Amino acid sequence: MIDPLQASVQIASSGLEAQSDRLRIVSENLANANSTGRTPGADPYRRKTVTFASEMDRAAGVRVVKIKDLGLDRSPFRVEYEPNHPAAGQDGYVKLPNVNMLIEMADMRETNRSYEANLQVVKQTRSMVAMTIDLLKGA
Amino acid sequence: MLEAVSSILKGIGSSAQTSDVTKVSPAVLQSAQSSAGFDGVMEQVAADAIGTLKAGEAASISSIQGKVSAQRVVEAVMSAEQTLQVAVAVRDKVVQAYQEVSRMAI
Repeated sequence: MIDPLQASVQIASSGLEAQSDRLRIVSENLANANSTGRTPGADPYRRKTVTFASEMDRAAGVRVVKIKDLGLDRSPFRVEYEPNHPAAGQDGYVKLPNVNMLIEMADMRETNRSYEANLQVVKQTRSMVAMTIDLLKGA
Repeated sequence: MLEAVSSILKGIGSSAQTSDVTKVSPAVLQSAQSSAGFDGVMEQVAADAIGTLKAGEAASISSIQGKVSAQRVVEAVMSAEQTLQVAVAVRDKVVQAYQEVSRMAI
């Protein structure tokens, strides 16, 4: 068992990494919001989802957070009538990614807030440790 | 006792200089295992501190090379920073104790 204050920094750090991965997925979704298929009728980019899981860190004896798995959003694709598009099907409709900008923006904001919260834990821990060490310096 | 104190001081002082870390730490570790009591504990602490500082330095180098995430580097460097602060605070206390002993009226 390690020092609880050091453990909280480690846990917060795992949270920071998990949120960074989440932001990566959000940016992938946003960047591919208009990626269609190459061939007629082909499926476009499918929105990725991310789930978190609590994981035991045996060395430190604490539960850290990890990315559990990257899933795919199974919701239907948007369709648009555009017969001269290379990915247009027989009926002239093009399938567009099921990425909703509003959802991605909300997800990004949540990622940001969560990152801030974890960062705040690190800051708080640091100041608590510094205060404790300052006890030695006084007098 | 005083020899042990000065060996600790040597260990802590050299931990700030990267080049000397490898030279001092094995000796510190070895003597920590052999001697028990307060001196031994202090030497063990010094050796651990040197290890943490080296980990922080290694993480910083890897980050320059782009191998590890910023979060890992911050975690390692913060841990090293804390260790160094504790080491410095303890060193100051030890020096203070040493001076009080040397100022003692005989």
